Amino acid sequence: MDQQIVIAIFIGSIYALFAVGYTLVFGILDILNLAHSAVFMLGAAITYSLVVNYSQSFWVACVLGVAASALMGLVIEHICLRPLRRRRAPPIAALISTIGLALIIVAAIEQGRPGTIFRWLWLDGANSVRFPDGTVPNPTWHVADLTLEASKVAIIPISIVLMLVLGYVMRYTQVGRGLRAVAENPRAAQLLGLDVDRMISLTLIVSSALGGFAGILFGIALGDISPYIGRDYVEVRGLAVIVLGGMGSIPGAVVGGYLLGLIEVLALVVVGSNARAGVAFAALFLMLVLRPQGLFGAQLRDKV
Amino acid sequence: MKGVRLVSSLVAAVVIAACGSSSPSGPTDKIIKLGAILSITGAGGVYGPQGRDGMNLAVKQINAAGGISGAKIQLSINDDASDKAQASQLAQKLIQQEKDVALLGPTLSNSAVGAHPVAEKLKTPILAVSTTGIHIVPDCNFPDTTPCKYVFRDSLGEQTAIPANIKSYADDAHPKTGVLLVAQDDKFSSDGGKIVQDTVATYGINLLRTIKFNKAEADLSSYVTIAVKLKPDVIFITSLGGIPAKIMTEARKQNWTGQFLGGNGFNTATVSKQAGANGAGARSASAWYLGNNFNSNAEFVAAYRAEYGADPDQFAAQGYTAIKVLADSAKRANLSFTNIAGDRDKLRAAMESVNIDSPLGPFQFTSTHDVKQTVWVIAMDGQGSFTLVHEIKAS
Repeated sequence: MDQQIVIAIFIGSIYALFAVGYTLVFGILDILNLAHSAVFMLGAAITYSLVVNYSQSFWVACVLGVAASALMGLVIEHICLRPLRRRRAPPIAALISTIGLALIIVAAIEQGRPGTIFRWLWLDGANSVRFPDGTVPNPTWHVADLTLEASKVAIIPISIVLMLVLGYVMRYTQVGRGLRAVAENPRAAQLLGLDVDRMISLTLIVSSALGGFAGILFGIALGDISPYIGRDYVEVRGLAVIVLGGMGSIPGAVVGGYLLGLIEVLALVVVGSNARAGVAFAALFLMLVLRPQGLFGAQLRDKV
Repeated sequence: MKGVRLVSSLVAAVVIAACGSSSPSGPTDKIIKLGAILSITGAGGVYGPQGRDGMNLAVKQINAAGGISGAKIQLSINDDASDKAQASQLAQKLIQQEKDVALLGPTLSNSAVGAHPVAEKLKTPILAVSTTGIHIVPDCNFPDTTPCKYVFRDSLGEQTAIPANIKSYADDAHPKTGVLLVAQDDKFSSDGGKIVQDTVATYGINLLRTIKFNKAEADLSSYVTIAVKLKPDVIFITSLGGIPAKIMTEARKQNWTGQFLGGNGFNTATVSKQAGANGAGARSASAWYLGNNFNSNAEFVAAYRAEYGADPDQFAAQGYTAIKVLADSAKRANLSFTNIAGDRDKLRAAMESVNIDSPLGPFQFTSTHDVKQTVWVIAMDGQGSFTLVHEIKAS
């Protein structure tokens, strides 16, 4: 059971880090960026390619992977969101356009094999690969009855520090106040002299950098990088996390991430292996019925 | 300008989607049109591309040697994205619109239960190249048990392979206990799990627990922890893609030192490579072994290396063999090239009596259209490849 709690905290950190990026965009724009899971995958895939195919050190590759993810945030804003915002399209249009971009990103990586036009990006097609042994120092410790792996243990403080920094920036800095002003009322923010487009671009950059970084940590800790890690492992769970925590709430995403990790593992231990996903989503359903605004969300009300 | 951008994005998307297809060019009088339905992307994308490469190599060799009695083979590769519905739609399209004389595939058993009944209904031979689940041949319309006339298989079924693997390990090491880790959300994996459950007792192994999981689990360590705490002699894994490697890695990290036994999901270098040193010694029964030096395999391996600059795997060998089987059958079938329905029937009849040397060894079909071949028990070598443990000849 102790080992299972460690596993829950570790996987919860990944869920939380991924969901923070999700919820940041939702909090500012009221839009679900469903390309976020593709950016999660892209961060891991580019870092892997740089290490294995371009012989870069992990640390250089990691910085470039996060930078590429941040850049993809700009692409999402300029291709999927801004043109629709200009036309005052409803949020559902932006949701669909981000799904489209996610499919294209996944397809591009899937097609990356020797001899194809995407070979510079990725060489393993639909295969699942892992970083070569020794890419990062990763000792395994056995403490009492627990197995602790350095890469998994490290994810926990890294995620917490990143989320604390983000929380601080949002709450106490000029940029954070600007972002919150845009979230509250973009038109009023513009009248007050804020460059709303720039603020939104910044949001997408930060959100995508976090998403890509979460993907890299996932790839290192779980030894699984493929075109499908975003779609299969974190996309729906990320949504569940931000619903649990409260849509748009950063502390909510953090708590929701750890809560989902814990619920999943407890469901496995208490109820049984084939009920794990069912129990986790039953908890989500209960939350929607009993407290639709989530743990940290403001009371929901219709905007008139 | 925005319109142009949108159109160019759409064109790019279509080009990306179309990248998986290929077809030889150049008109000839007689063409034998074959359509392969493979999982180039999705969960089966670990296996489909190698099958495609094996098939393309065989087609290239046959056409370069003058074709089949002057007729060239034209093979189209179609990606079912590991999706059952897409596989059956493709089967329908290839038979009715493309007028292919025979089909190959799909890669996954899960997709085969969609595509095979379509081919059977439309009276077109279909040769399964890597589907190892139960109810593939002859009962493709299961639960209807009427034997399907047009469905053949050149891949070693798990009903043969898994018991052979368990028996050989039980004979060698006499394990007493086991735990089964099985993905419950696809046919291949759950069929494999059922076969393990039905087999272990025969060889004196007490199955302590069956642990089911879904493939879309980010972290399998919770499941592995449960398995390892039971201290079994053997962990059986029936799952696809990178999952077996993840389970092995996690179990070794938790200091478990027992034996991994698995199914066809182990049988590609990709999985062995991903498992690395953690997979060393993991055993499975395979339809093929790289190191076999009989002529038909040595020639295939050399040609594949020359063409692709890499070693083939079992799926490449099965794809290659499938084209050779169809070519041999077409040669003996006296095709008319004018009556497609008649040609499909002639080809089907000729396939029943195929008898060739292939990279898989001497190759024939059984009376139920299943493969009759030697079973090779192999073990991961810890470096991305395999070593041969046992050879079990077809009885």
